[in-house]
Amino acid sequence: MPSSTTDHASRRVIGARAALIWGVIAAVLVTVASVGVFLVAPEDADQGVIQRIFYFHVAIALVSLVIFAVACVAGILYLRTRNVRWDDVSVTAIRIGMLFSVLVIITGSIWAKASWGTWWVWADPRLVTYLIVVLIYAAYFVLRSSVDDDRRLRYSAIYAIAGFVSVPLSFYSVRIAQSFVHPVVFTSGGANMPGSMLIWFLISLAAMLALFIALLEVELVGRRTERALRALSLRLESS
Amino acid sequence: MSMAVNRPRWTRQLAGLIRKDLRLELRTKETVMAMVLFSIVTLTIMQFGFGTRDDDLTRFTGGLMWVTLAFTAVLGVGRSYVAEREQRVLDGILASPVPRVVLLAAKAIAIVIYMAITELVVIPVVGIFFVKGPYWDSIGWIALVALIANVCIALSGTLFSGLALFTRARDLILPVLFLPALVPVVIAGAGATHAVVGGPHDMSEYRGYCLFLVGYAILFLLVCIATYDAVFDD
Repeated sequence: MPSSTTDHASRRVIGARAALIWGVIAAVLVTVASVGVFLVAPEDADQGVIQRIFYFHVAIALVSLVIFAVACVAGILYLRTRNVRWDDVSVTAIRIGMLFSVLVIITGSIWAKASWGTWWVWADPRLVTYLIVVLIYAAYFVLRSSVDDDRRLRYSAIYAIAGFVSVPLSFYSVRIAQSFVHPVVFTSGGANMPGSMLIWFLISLAAMLALFIALLEVELVGRRTERALRALSLRLESS
Repeated sequence: MSMAVNRPRWTRQLAGLIRKDLRLELRTKETVMAMVLFSIVTLTIMQFGFGTRDDDLTRFTGGLMWVTLAFTAVLGVGRSYVAEREQRVLDGILASPVPRVVLLAAKAIAIVIYMAITELVVIPVVGIFFVKGPYWDSIGWIALVALIANVCIALSGTLFSGLALFTRARDLILPVLFLPALVPVVIAGAGATHAVVGGPHDMSEYRGYCLFLVGYAILFLLVCIATYDAVFDD
């Protein structure tokens, strides 16, 4: 087999092209969203410039829910197929989900300081529940590092599913908690904002989603490359 | 064919497993005694933790009770598989044709019973120690929310203790896995207790928290049924 064909085939297996495409899409969308949010979107009459953090804060929060759902589905697929690739997806998604959740807490905390004059508001259910979500998924890595081999993958998949149970609890806590100070942007009646804001919010949401997919693809390429290299070195040793 | 005929029904398997756990506990009284003592010690520490000698801590009753019960649950759940593992009984159970879900149910029921016995002491002690207003007329409502919360604790606890069982430093891993999952139970348990203690009962708030706990229990039940086979799939 000519070497160029082999290179092409291995690139396809590793999926480098998909990572590159998603990287470009994410870069373009994040740039457009940043320009739109800071320069084009109208300023909120009540909160002023600090309200612009909402476009990223809520977008990251919603995408982090999607990320943990992806990790959960990948966990279920791992338990059904025992294919290590699903474990790769699950662990990578949780890693990125943790990063996004921490960003939700940081942006929420900045917003809380500007709106309510304090960095942390225990009465704000979303901020508190994201803290719980971070603690739950931090335990995923503690569990993962304390078991080996097949059990590590199995237990990680089970925990990814059990951890995801906390995500709807996080989501609904905004609605059920009695002492309630967080602005509810999306109600069952639809979005609670004008169209000129909604369009930039949707672009921010798409940018964060693309960023997640790009990060996932890049990390998966790294994992696949590592595995392919290990297989190659084993083949070379045996020949 | 004869093996299929001789296999006991799941109800008998469940009854047998629960009987084993309870008999073991009745002989040693290790777990429940430790849980009760631990909870009283924790409640005593809580009083000093506030930095006040105020006798009336009515407004903190729910929090005091449910934080104590959460830590006690970690202690009890942590013990739930230890005897089986130390005496290699677990290998025998796993080798026998007992569905994993029956094993899960037996452990969960045993934990509910241990927690209920502990609460028989904790709920009155909280009233005596901390509440100077009306409390005893609410005891039935507190017992009801405790019962629902026990099911939540038992289901999530059984799953996490199964995961922690074969890990390195399992005594350390279990609280790290289990306590964050217990936070919603503490929030709802404390909220429901506050709704019925120290003043007029707010039954709509109480009902809301109870429904939340029922939802939590259903979600964890589904997760347990879906994944428990994989926990012991060796």
